[in-house]
Amino acid sequence: MKKIKFMLIAMMAIMAGAMSFTSCSSDDDDKAKQNIISEYQLNDEAVAQQKAKSGKDKAILLVAFGSTWNNSFLAFDATKAAYEKAFPAYDVFVSFSSDICINRAHEGENVDENGNIVSRDYYEPRYLLHAIGAAKYSEICVQSLQVIPGEEFANVVASVKKFGNNGYVANAHLDDDYLSKVKIRLGMPLLNNPDTDVPEVAKQLDILYGNEATKGAVLFMGHGNPDTYDTFKANVRYTQLEEELQKYSKNYFVGTVDMPDNYKQDVFARMQDNNIKSGNVYLHALMSIAGDHAHNDMAGEGDEYWDDEEEESEDNSWFEFFNHKGYKASAPVKNNHPLGLLELEGIREVWIKHTKNAETLEEAYHSMYPEE
Amino acid sequence: MLDAYAGKSIEDILGGLTASFAFNEGDMGSQMQLGGLGNSYILILVDGKRLHGDNGGENDLGLIDPHNIEKIEIVKGAQSALYGSDAIAGVVNIITKKHDKEGVMLENTTRLGSYGDVRQHNGVALSWGKWTSYTNFQTQHSDGWQNTAEEWTEAMVVNDSRNKTVNRFTNWQISERITFTPTKDLSLYAEGWYYNKIINRPQNGNHPSCDVYTYDLLYNNASAAAGGKWNLKGGDYISLDVDWNKHAYFYKYTARTYEDAYVDGALEHGVPFYKGQKRLQADQQRTMGQLKGVFHLPMENILNVGAEYRYDYLKAPMRTKGGEGRDWTAAVYAQDEWNMLEWLNITAGVRLIENDAFGFRATPKVSAMLSLGDFRVRAGWSQGFKTPTPKELNYQYLRHMGSSTFYYMGNSDLKPQTSNYWSAGVEYRNSKFTASVTGYINRLEKMIALVNVPVSEIPVGMTEFVGDGSMAIIPRMYKNTDNAKTMGVDVNVAYQLTNELSIGGNYSYLDTDARVYNETHNRMDKVIIDGTAYNKWNAYLTWNHRFTPIYKFGAGLYTRGSSKRFYQNNHDGKGFQIWRISTTHDFAKTGKKLSYKAELGVDNIFNYMDKTMHPYHLGTTSAGTTVYGSLSIKFNSGKNIKANNSKLNKQNSKNQDYEED
Repeated sequence: MKKIKFMLIAMMAIMAGAMSFTSCSSDDDDKAKQNIISEYQLNDEAVAQQKAKSGKDKAILLVAFGSTWNNSFLAFDATKAAYEKAFPAYDVFVSFSSDICINRAHEGENVDENGNIVSRDYYEPRYLLHAIGAAKYSEICVQSLQVIPGEEFANVVASVKKFGNNGYVANAHLDDDYLSKVKIRLGMPLLNNPDTDVPEVAKQLDILYGNEATKGAVLFMGHGNPDTYDTFKANVRYTQLEEELQKYSKNYFVGTVDMPDNYKQDVFARMQDNNIKSGNVYLHALMSIAGDHAHNDMAGEGDEYWDDEEEESEDNSWFEFFNHKGYKASAPVKNNHPLGLLELEGIREVWIKHTKNAETLEEAYHSMYPEE
Repeated sequence: MLDAYAGKSIEDILGGLTASFAFNEGDMGSQMQLGGLGNSYILILVDGKRLHGDNGGENDLGLIDPHNIEKIEIVKGAQSALYGSDAIAGVVNIITKKHDKEGVMLENTTRLGSYGDVRQHNGVALSWGKWTSYTNFQTQHSDGWQNTAEEWTEAMVVNDSRNKTVNRFTNWQISERITFTPTKDLSLYAEGWYYNKIINRPQNGNHPSCDVYTYDLLYNNASAAAGGKWNLKGGDYISLDVDWNKHAYFYKYTARTYEDAYVDGALEHGVPFYKGQKRLQADQQRTMGQLKGVFHLPMENILNVGAEYRYDYLKAPMRTKGGEGRDWTAAVYAQDEWNMLEWLNITAGVRLIENDAFGFRATPKVSAMLSLGDFRVRAGWSQGFKTPTPKELNYQYLRHMGSSTFYYMGNSDLKPQTSNYWSAGVEYRNSKFTASVTGYINRLEKMIALVNVPVSEIPVGMTEFVGDGSMAIIPRMYKNTDNAKTMGVDVNVAYQLTNELSIGGNYSYLDTDARVYNETHNRMDKVIIDGTAYNKWNAYLTWNHRFTPIYKFGAGLYTRGSSKRFYQNNHDGKGFQIWRISTTHDFAKTGKKLSYKAELGVDNIFNYMDKTMHPYHLGTTSAGTTVYGSLSIKFNSGKNIKANNSKLNKQNSKNQDYEED
């Protein structure tokens, strides 16, 4: 019996040993913190070098959601160049707020003339803002590349606010004295003001697509705040834009992929009400760049994008939907891709105007959150 | 049969030798199915112990060394009375080789095949007095392969995708078992293993939306167990086993990757992880205690009784609400096997279960077998029970697969799933010919399945987390589906034509009917159980001959196939049929300490390849024609010692539908 008792104790000892050997505690939390700090340092150095090279004292940070599409990278390049031309006294930086887009862009989609992959490095606004602060630019203008002042824009505001409050992890604090003096301005999204921006954008779109509107219906596909949380009640901008466009032609419609009661089937219903029951339908993206939504949800062609049993399914593309509804739908392309709004010069000018008129962070913030 | 087939892995062996299993080997496991039900409904036992894997279902069959298997027993249908929660579709019991000869045994098997396939098995057995030790080291590697460079992504077909059909992987495992037999009635053991697997994914693709990955997948599995068996009179025994298992899953970064992470307790976006760093995704630990007794009672009764306690712990900081989940289950069971008459055997059992979250439950089982001359008629009914796993309850994470992005959600409203399994079959068996036909219906109530749900199911506040700009997201949630039913017929035939020549085959028909309530349209929608096919079959012809006293030759021709496999997303998989030829060469002389064995073969001899573009489903991931060769060397210095429980191992075999050895 003694032997058995000994064996049982030995067994328990072996088990306990094995458990402590393999169940090493995870220090992912510390690793994450350390990594954030080194990412700050990396950006700090890059921006400091840029500042030393250009000798400029002011910076513009463009904030987009991001994309993994090559045509979109080119659109961001062109936008950056247009900003550098319009703001010669400023260093211009482009940032993505989407981690996934950053990761994939980093791995590279572009191929140079030798067939080698060219990696695209984009950074989150937080890292670039920190670096711009660390380099002590005297004025910082953060420009939202969003279309409506909705959920994504709220994130931009939050990151600027965090920067202004020196709200970074320990060891990465900026100079409080500098922060109290630096001029921070916030450039609003494309359709920020219903009285000025919406008519201006409608006018520019009509200049570009007025010819199509004489031949058929012209449909713009925006994104929209999703279902139940319409941040800043921004979805109304799509409706306002449609009303404004219809002053030019009753053939203009503005729908979305995510705004309730303004999906493709709702656009279809409004077309029926306007007695547009057949003929050409031209599809255009109402998004800053033409990425997955423009290529798939809007222009997607083939069985992949059509399910007869559920016509209104969000997997069914606008192209297939309107063709199945008896129209002759097409999604005009340039260099094999639909165009995003940043690629339309007249529209891009609206953004640039917003940057020129950018309010200080405090004014912008209070206009959005009047109760605070 | 197992030896002649010369399989490279458990997936290869089960897929090649039975018609009931289907596999779809991928990064997340082997996606095993039996009778239309996935791995989470199949209990895999290794020498009677539950194989521990992802508690959401997938087992990593790489944990089992294919060169150290004595036999595989397959029992189809619910076996919850004896085995509890996971045995709803059936039980696969893998019995490893026992090296109990006095002295020293050394063996090495090295198998090489196309696409850099390397499998190595090394065993060292020592036996002295009351002690034995067996050390096993195995490693498995494949460079992976690519059946097609076509991929549907970015709204077009690209022709230069780097995605492989099966990714490159390497795993290795070291295990040790020590036994001590202090008296002839008592044996004690302690055993454990450590296992590591890495799956390398393409990093150098041209399309970030589909074939560029910034991390590899790393798995870590460990086990420790100890127990003993007390042999009583007349074949009765009592056994006690305690075991602990861990299965952890990491990302191992191959390039800077921005992710969400908790920093000082708060969720932060855009946290970089750098090349070479690894990050825990999920760590699932299980601790079990089992007490079991087998008693031969008067009037030809054999009684199995036992008690079991199981504690599961899940740690998944970024994949669960709250970062962790836990669950316990306690159970007692009794099953009686009554050889009532010479020709009639009745088995009845019940298991009483108490679960942490879902309370008390009883699952009964009754089956009967009639032996009429060369015929046996079997009929059975059993209930199964399975509580939602911590993963099914708590998971919440985003996953990119090719150009698709899925948001997976656990569901805290899940109810336990229950099953009723009815089967009836007839078997004919004489000395040369065996044939059996078995029909079954497995009706699952509240079956848990991952199904597509409307975007509105993504919790408020999570869109920022999942991003909503240019990514099209498919939300999928674990749901209790209603009235899921699988039904099928299995046919097995084997004929020993001569002492040297055998022929046989298996056929399996399967139909499924699962329904889920569609909240958007207020109706019941039929849903496909992913990966199921109506027809699956396999057949073999084997011949062996001893040419000289030291050389024995064996050859086998095998085929397996499946009709179209159905999936909810990304198209159905094509039907297929694959042929294989395998030869074995044994060189051994009785009384010699060294023996050799060689295997040479060609798999998929007609070079069938499913070239369906990524990311759509394939019927089979086979690489087309591949060749393999293996050499085993065995050194044995000892003599047989008494194998004292070989008889007992058979005590449960009467109700088995199928046995492969």
